[in-house]
Amino acid sequence: MAEIVVKYDDKVIEKVVIYKRRVSIGRTAENDIILENRGVSRKHAIIEFNESGAVIIDNESLNGTFLNDRRVTEEMIRDQDMITIGKYHLLFHNSAEETHDEESDYDGTMILNTKKQKQRLKRNDQDKDIVRRAGSSVLVGEDNSDFKEYALEREVTTVGKAKFVHIKVKGFFLSGIQAKIVKEGAVFSIINIGRKGKTMVNGEPVQSSLLRNGDLISVGRSTFRFVEASR
Amino acid sequence: MIIAFISDVHANLEALQVTLADIEKQHVDRIHFLGDAVGYGPEPNPCVELIAANCDIKLLGNHDFAALGLETPDSFNEIARVSMEWTLKELSARSTTAMADFELEAIDGDFYMTHASPRTPDLWEYILDIDSACSQFEHFEQQVAFVGHSHLPAFFCKRADDTISQRYITESELDPDSRYIINVGSVGQPRDHDPRACYVTVDTKNNIIRYHRVEYDISKAIASIDSHGLPQILGERLLVGR
Repeated sequence: MAEIVVKYDDKVIEKVVIYKRRVSIGRTAENDIILENRGVSRKHAIIEFNESGAVIIDNESLNGTFLNDRRVTEEMIRDQDMITIGKYHLLFHNSAEETHDEESDYDGTMILNTKKQKQRLKRNDQDKDIVRRAGSSVLVGEDNSDFKEYALEREVTTVGKAKFVHIKVKGFFLSGIQAKIVKEGAVFSIINIGRKGKTMVNGEPVQSSLLRNGDLISVGRSTFRFVEASR
Repeated sequence: MIIAFISDVHANLEALQVTLADIEKQHVDRIHFLGDAVGYGPEPNPCVELIAANCDIKLLGNHDFAALGLETPDSFNEIARVSMEWTLKELSARSTTAMADFELEAIDGDFYMTHASPRTPDLWEYILDIDSACSQFEHFEQQVAFVGHSHLPAFFCKRADDTISQRYITESELDPDSRYIINVGSVGQPRDHDPRACYVTVDTKNNIIRYHRVEYDISKAIASIDSHGLPQILGERLLVGR
């Protein structure tokens, strides 16, 4: 069974437990999840459940559907994924899966023109360029990084202080190989190998964590942003 | 100064303990470990702990790489793969953290060290004969490269006139005008038909290199292999040193 927590301005406004195989999201009353805001299309997106999981499908909406801050048209979604529609955040909890549906066209939807939405769209476009150029998911150097962009092409990318690791990081008391980023199919995860507490994802120390688009990875004092190519 | 070099312990605790005790008798100043702490054998955690506590330079071998999940054991033979799967389950977080500080290559004065080959330390080439040795000399600057990996003691000498020879020695004086690649053999799984644990010391004052062979209780190592459900052949090969 799946659950969607709908947040607006970081306040939880609704929790939806899903029993259907197809869940519609949009501004108007016929939707399963109603987001009453002019930035949301009447039929904005759907979440569809199939054998392999849940899929979010954007219904050519005007302002777009974002999965973990990346604009998507149709993507698999997983537990803890964050769907953003207009000013709404929909946090997906899975023991099944979820989908959104909306319609986009010019159906009376107000064009979102907030600073945040603009930034999101701009970064989304930049990120698309980055992964297109790299031909793979990418780490973007944010702080104390030796590189601007690093293509994650290997099955295992090592991170640490040793001379031989792929990604060198800065900081005290780090292990030679502090962490590894493992690619399985199109899915990436980071696993801490060295001393505990030195690998963080979005500010939280992790031993092992699946990576999602936009995740901020810190190893020691170095920080990278994970930009995911389409799953 | 006397430096001891050990390699390819492969989780054979019996062999490692006896070897370290023997090294202690030589009054060495430093012990360097050339990789493959784990894989094959039944005692990976105590072996990693002993190596971390006793060795100055500690290197990673191909089995250690696989044990840290840095590469898949695809290139391993069936027995190595089965024991690596067992090792992956057995290895403690503490051991993993310790091994995360091991290096791929290192230098101590005139000595270069890596597990397999100076040319490509992470591709695990074997240096088995003059042919495979001759192309390696240009990939390190020091006088001597110490390696492991093949489990076969080997001594390659490149003289000032560029001739390269392979000699079978137990002791030799290092000529200051020559360069060397020295395979220090294996502590935990010798393959030169001598089942005794093997290690090397270098006396830097007199430029003398020595191979040491140490007997240990192989039956204990075999009992441990059996009790941990590892393939029987891993014990059998210890008895005959191959």
